[in-house]
Amino acid sequence: MKHLPKHLRPRWRYLAVGIETWPDADLGRRAFQRALWYAAGNLLGDAGSADADLTLLSFSHADGEGEAIVRARHGHVDDARAVIGCVSEVDDDPVGIRVRGISGTVRACEERYMGRAGGSSTQRDVAFEGAERSAVVRGDARDVRTESGYVGAARFDTE
Amino acid sequence: MYEAVHARPDGDATAARHAATAAQYGYEGVVVRTREALEPVGNAGGSGSGGGAVGDRSPEAAALRKEYGIDAVDAVEIDADDATSASGAVGNYRPERTVVCVVGGDDGLNRFAVEEPRVDVLVRPMDGSGDFNHVLAKAARDNGVHVEFDLGPLFRATGGKRVRALADLRKLREIATYYDAPHVVSANPRSHLQLRAPREVVAAAEAVGFDAEWVREGLRAWGEIAARNRERRSEAFIEPGVRRGRYEEDG
Repeated sequence: MKHLPKHLRPRWRYLAVGIETWPDADLGRRAFQRALWYAAGNLLGDAGSADADLTLLSFSHADGEGEAIVRARHGHVDDARAVIGCVSEVDDDPVGIRVRGISGTVRACEERYMGRAGGSSTQRDVAFEGAERSAVVRGDARDVRTESGYVGAARFDTE
Repeated sequence: MYEAVHARPDGDATAARHAATAAQYGYEGVVVRTREALEPVGNAGGSGSGGGAVGDRSPEAAALRKEYGIDAVDAVEIDADDATSASGAVGNYRPERTVVCVVGGDDGLNRFAVEEPRVDVLVRPMDGSGDFNHVLAKAARDNGVHVEFDLGPLFRATGGKRVRALADLRKLREIATYYDAPHVVSANPRSHLQLRAPREVVAAAEAVGFDAEWVREGLRAWGEIAARNRERRSEAFIEPGVRRGRYEEDG
């Protein structure tokens, strides 16, 4: 179909989203998009979530860290931010999520907010709570494996 | 703005990881609600005279503050079965903790917390069978006890549970704002993954009918409580309205 004249095209805002999970979580693009739409449906209802749009444009996730670009309709950015905050788990994996920033173009969004991963993660043993335990180390963060699953710690705790 | 977190062993992340994440998210401080998470009394005695963070006695909180550049406040949540044992616990913890919270969730405990000026915050008043009314709101206002608005279910619950929690929040909000009872807002994160940046908290709360500035006030209130209590504990403080001034050194 012939595309719309410029003044009738919807205006978008692009939200750069930072994602954090436990190191063993495996997040897929489709699962994340589904979680986003469910969160929107639950918080804003069908009407509100149709207004906000919330389409996932790019997504990457590995080793407990990820980032995404979410498209939202201009003027519904606050709703989009609220919905993104309400994504607490994706496929039963808890996620930490935060809006890093908002741009008017995808390119500006990528240049300003993306590709800021906290460095590569490595596996090594750390001293935690009086025992030697295996942990995934990423920057200052240490995800320590214990009997009851992972525990979030920091360099402060293991030295 | 401050967030009040549940640290390990109560949650899945240590106080340091909470502080690191909160610093990254733009908070000015974290209040660590878990009693066992921070070493309480360092017996530092006159450390308050050295300036800086006065009247704070937890050396671990001070170390966290230095490491991550945001405030760390040692707090305690008193989760008692009835008002009598809660009263004993308040007496025990008041001298050694900067912020004292009482977990509500039943009518007797809610009533006790708002009528006790030594309590700083009544947390999760609507949990379980707990309820709130005009009598409690007036008492909270008169005794300066902050009522917590727990946004945890807004972020993490679904379905009927979330609906009921939001209905309770609305009821609590209508009563508390009518009587001008002091309030605090928190998402009750139990790990660094459950922590949300202040702007997300405000946006989500706004989506369910809270006023944005009112929520920000609630997030700032944690810091104000901590600052007030630290001042009261500092050596310069003698009693309300009386403090050691600059003339004393001459004598």
